[in-house]
Amino acid sequence: MLKSVVRSVGAAVRLSSATTSTARALPLSCPTLRSPSPAIARPFTRSLWMLNSNSSGYRPKLFSSKVLSPSVSCRCGGLHTEGDKAFGDFLSDEIKEEKKIQKSKTLPKMSGGWELEMNGTEAKLSRSVSGEKITVTFNINNSIPPNFEEEVEQGQQKPAEEEPEIVSTPNFVVEVTKQAAKHSLVFDCHFPEDEMSHGEGEEESDIFAIREVSFQPEGDTEWKETCYTLNTDSLDWALYDHLMDFLADRGVDNTFADELMELSTAIEHQEYIKFLEDLQGFVKCN
Amino acid sequence: MGVILRNLQKVVPLRRARLRKDVDTLRHILGIQKFDLGVICVDNQRIQQINSIYRKKNLPTDVLSFPFYEDLRPGKLPCPLHRDELNLGDIFLGVEFVMNQCREESLDLHGALTVVTAHGICHLLGYRHETEEEWTEMLQRESYILSEYNRLTGRHLEPLMKRCSQDR
Repeated sequence: MLKSVVRSVGAAVRLSSATTSTARALPLSCPTLRSPSPAIARPFTRSLWMLNSNSSGYRPKLFSSKVLSPSVSCRCGGLHTEGDKAFGDFLSDEIKEEKKIQKSKTLPKMSGGWELEMNGTEAKLSRSVSGEKITVTFNINNSIPPNFEEEVEQGQQKPAEEEPEIVSTPNFVVEVTKQAAKHSLVFDCHFPEDEMSHGEGEEESDIFAIREVSFQPEGDTEWKETCYTLNTDSLDWALYDHLMDFLADRGVDNTFADELMELSTAIEHQEYIKFLEDLQGFVKCN
Repeated sequence: MGVILRNLQKVVPLRRARLRKDVDTLRHILGIQKFDLGVICVDNQRIQQINSIYRKKNLPTDVLSFPFYEDLRPGKLPCPLHRDELNLGDIFLGVEFVMNQCREESLDLHGALTVVTAHGICHLLGYRHETEEEWTEMLQRESYILSEYNRLTGRHLEPLMKRCSQDR
C-alpha cells in the first residue's frame, strides 16, 4: 500500500523525498525573465524601460522584491525577505503540529535484547546469540514509500481523520558473524510494498523478504561487488525458506520486522522534526 | 512452479522449511505435484476476518480453502488445457488457532498443521463434508493420505475426525 503523506488534521504536509521538487526562486532561464520581443512584434506590451522608469506618476515595478533591509542589530549577513518571514512562521506551525502528533519523545524499544546505535540517519541494531553476532543496519532516508493518490470511490471521500499514518519501511541489512570468522553472511532485506497496502484481507506477501544473500568480509561497511551474491528472485523456494528460518532463529522474524518498522517510523519522525527546527533556525537568522 | 508459502503472522514461530517439506510430501502422495498451491499462514484475527467475509461465521478456525476449480468431483484431478490452469487454489492456515488446540491437547504443532493442510487440500480437490456420505468419503481419503504420510515419515498423524473445520 502507498500511503498519503498528510500526517494530521493540522495538515502538516511534506513531499516524499521520491517526489521532491525544489521550490526555489525563479531561475534566470524562466521565460518571463527573458528579454521581451521588440515593440513591433508586440505592439501592446510596454517595454521594460517604461515600467522601471523613475519618472513621476505611479509605475508598477516588475522586479522589485520587498527586501527588508537588515536591521543594524541583526548583522547576520543573511538575506531576510518577506517570503523568509512567512516561511519561518509556517515552519513554527508545522513544528508544533508535528510535535503534537509525535507518538513519543523516546524511541520504541525492540524486544529480544537488541542494542541500538545511531549514526545520523543510519541505525544499527545488534545482539549476540551463542557467540554469534547479529547486526541489522538501516537508513531512514528514502524509507517512506512514494505516495500515490488512492482512488476515491465514487460518492465517497475519506474524512481527514482517517488518513493513513506514514510508515517507514526501510531496506535493512542483516549481518551474521560467527566467532573467528573472516566473513559474515549478509542478507539484504526489504518490505515488499504490496504487503503494506490496506485492503480487505488482500495482502499475501510476507511481511519482509530477503532480496540478496552474500558472504562479505567481516567488518567492511561497503558491499563488495566481487563476492558472489545470491539473488532470491529466481531462487529455489525451499532454499529461500531455509534462509528465512535461519534468520528467524537469530531473532529476525515477523515480530522483529514489525518492531523495526515502528522504530524506523519513530526515528524518521524525530529526524524530520529536527530538520524542520534546523530549517527554521536557518531561515530566521544564522 | 509449486507451493507458494506465505507467513503473514507473528504469533506462532513457524518453521517454513518444515511446513513446505510436509506439504510437498502430501502433494507427492496425492499426485498433484504439477499443480500450484498457495499456503498462507495467518493469525486468529485474519482467519476470523476471512471466515466472516466468505462464510458469514465470525469465528477463528483452523483452515479455509479457496479452490481454483469449484466443481470437481471428489478426488478427480482436473485436466487443464493451459499452463495457467495448473493451479489448485489457496489454503489459509489458522496457525494461531491450531497452536492453541495443540497446547490444549499436547500435540506437535507441525504435525497438526500437516493434518489440517491435508484436510484443506482435500477441499481443493472437491471433497466436502456437508452430508454423512460426504463426510465418510472425505474421512476415508484423509485417512489414506495420512497413513501414507506416516509410512513415509515414521510419524503418527491422524485425520481431523472430531471436528468439521469448515463448519465453524
